[in-house]
Amino acid sequence: MAMIEIEGLRKEYRRLRGGHTVAVAGLDLSVPEGGVFGFLGPNGAGKTTTIRCLLGLVRPSAGRLSLLGADVGHALPSVIGRVGSIVEAPAMFPRFTGRRNLEILARIHGEGDAAIDASLERVGLRDRAKDPVRTYSLGMKQRLAIAATLLRDPSLLILDEPANGLDPAGIVEVRELLRSLGAEGRTVFVSSHILSEVQQTADHVAIVAKGKLIKAGAVNEVLATTGTSGVIVKLADLEAGRRALADANIPSTIEAGAIRADVPADQSERISRTLAQAGLYVTELRPDTVDLETVFLELTKDQGVAD
Amino acid sequence: MRLLRSEFLRARSRRVVPMVIIGGLIGIVIGLGIAAAYNHKPSPEQIAAAQSQYQVAYQRCLNGKFLGPNQLIDARYTSIEDVCNAAVAPDLSTIMLRDVGVILEHISTFVILLGALLGASLGGADWTSNTMGTLLTWEPRRLRVFLERALVVAAVVVVVTLFLQIAFALVYWGVTSVRGVTTFLPPNLLGDVAGTMLRVSAMAIAFALVAYVLAMIGRSTVSSLGVLFGYLILFEGVIAGFRPSIMGSLFVRAAVVVIGRQPILMEPGNVSGPAGGQPIVLMDVTKAWVVVAIYVVVLGVVSVVQFQRRDVT
Repeated sequence: MAMIEIEGLRKEYRRLRGGHTVAVAGLDLSVPEGGVFGFLGPNGAGKTTTIRCLLGLVRPSAGRLSLLGADVGHALPSVIGRVGSIVEAPAMFPRFTGRRNLEILARIHGEGDAAIDASLERVGLRDRAKDPVRTYSLGMKQRLAIAATLLRDPSLLILDEPANGLDPAGIVEVRELLRSLGAEGRTVFVSSHILSEVQQTADHVAIVAKGKLIKAGAVNEVLATTGTSGVIVKLADLEAGRRALADANIPSTIEAGAIRADVPADQSERISRTLAQAGLYVTELRPDTVDLETVFLELTKDQGVAD
Repeated sequence: MRLLRSEFLRARSRRVVPMVIIGGLIGIVIGLGIAAAYNHKPSPEQIAAAQSQYQVAYQRCLNGKFLGPNQLIDARYTSIEDVCNAAVAPDLSTIMLRDVGVILEHISTFVILLGALLGASLGGADWTSNTMGTLLTWEPRRLRVFLERALVVAAVVVVVTLFLQIAFALVYWGVTSVRGVTTFLPPNLLGDVAGTMLRVSAMAIAFALVAYVLAMIGRSTVSSLGVLFGYLILFEGVIAGFRPSIMGSLFVRAAVVVIGRQPILMEPGNVSGPAGGQPIVLMDVTKAWVVVAIYVVVLGVVSVVQFQRRDVT
């Protein structure tokens, strides 16, 4: 069963001076069960609007959405207890303590002190639980919001930019947390524009732009989209090396003080052997990996924002 | 029930609730402190003289000499004793415990304003803190959220306003014991005072609910209070001045009628129809309750529909 199913989602906002702004323009998406699913897109691509529609905060103009197999329009209350979510910035009462904020939410589902303690422990906030939220750093607020999502022991977590505004240490913490949540068998649906983070944590990704799905699939599949993989070779005589590779039918170019061989990374041994047979010894040999950022920019370069 | 418990915890944790209570208590202490400073306990001779004068006047009243020419008896009085208890007062220039009910009516404006403040704040805080989205991701049934919070607003307001009124009555009792007069009490003083307190609290709930639904429509505490006071002061105040006949449909006037149990009467010349004759009843107590209920229900329905339909962004 898909944890999230979106078919033809469209959301238009009316402008005050007439006309419409299209935030989501016919999005189709399916999120499989288990693991971390990255939901990527440039600012204004419709990520947050999509999440708001999924959680019933925003009414779609058209389309069908389901969470955990339940139609969002009619049966959301029946599954909301199994969904933990953060939409945009973590929203808590700033004058209440972190613990009181969690107590207010926990009571809605009849969760007791044990669940609150466990959640606070999980995000490392137990020592600061009795301090007002307004004294928390952004990272602590983010962690408190994640603690709130964990109160219900959810099967599905929907997190909108959970690492937004965090310092490097905070980003690492959130990354580890997302990984461990995904490893526990939960489904973590995370929107982000920090692509390196998503690449390190996600099993599957979807890239949206202008309110539409551009690409979706396992991370490796998406990375293979641009076909720009190769092998970087460094040695003393670059020109001799390029000629030796050309003689062995390995296309290559000299770029930025190195040879870039346009073959898949699994051809590294062949490159090394060819150069050695020509009396050339490499000082560095590494795959020219394509990162998600490159793929993302490649796929969205002509897209811009939805409106 | 779980949501209700959560809402009560949220309301209990809000700073505005203790602030209103503390502010009210400070107001009581200052107000009655000034009253204590400007009054003094009469001598036994003064009380005795007032007692004999009072008994004569009360007897005259019971004999039917309680009204001037062409005066009407208020509808709230059900017996001649009631009329005389209200109409005849001892001739003493000091604070008297027997007046506590009337004074509670006079301070009801402040109590009701505190209720409106609580309603606006409890309704608007989630929008101001941006936590309404968080709440709705825990309980997506918006009608339930709206109604249970309205219930919490009513409960908080009734507790706070009754507490403040009881505190006022107790302090007033203490001040009159020391600096005024605690005799000349009408036979049903306790019942009358309790009735006044309940009516004031009921009107405080009505104003709090109106402030609450306005906060849900405007999505902030400030917009709620601004619209409420703008309407009450500018619109109702102005319109009542220009068209007195519409007073029978105004929210504030209805609350005044409910609390004072005195209908709004108007000379026939001020409304359509021939001049002269008996005054016309623009709003009696029953109609006042209905008017208040209509304001609360109509605004509540508008607010619910709007809350159900609008996106939470």
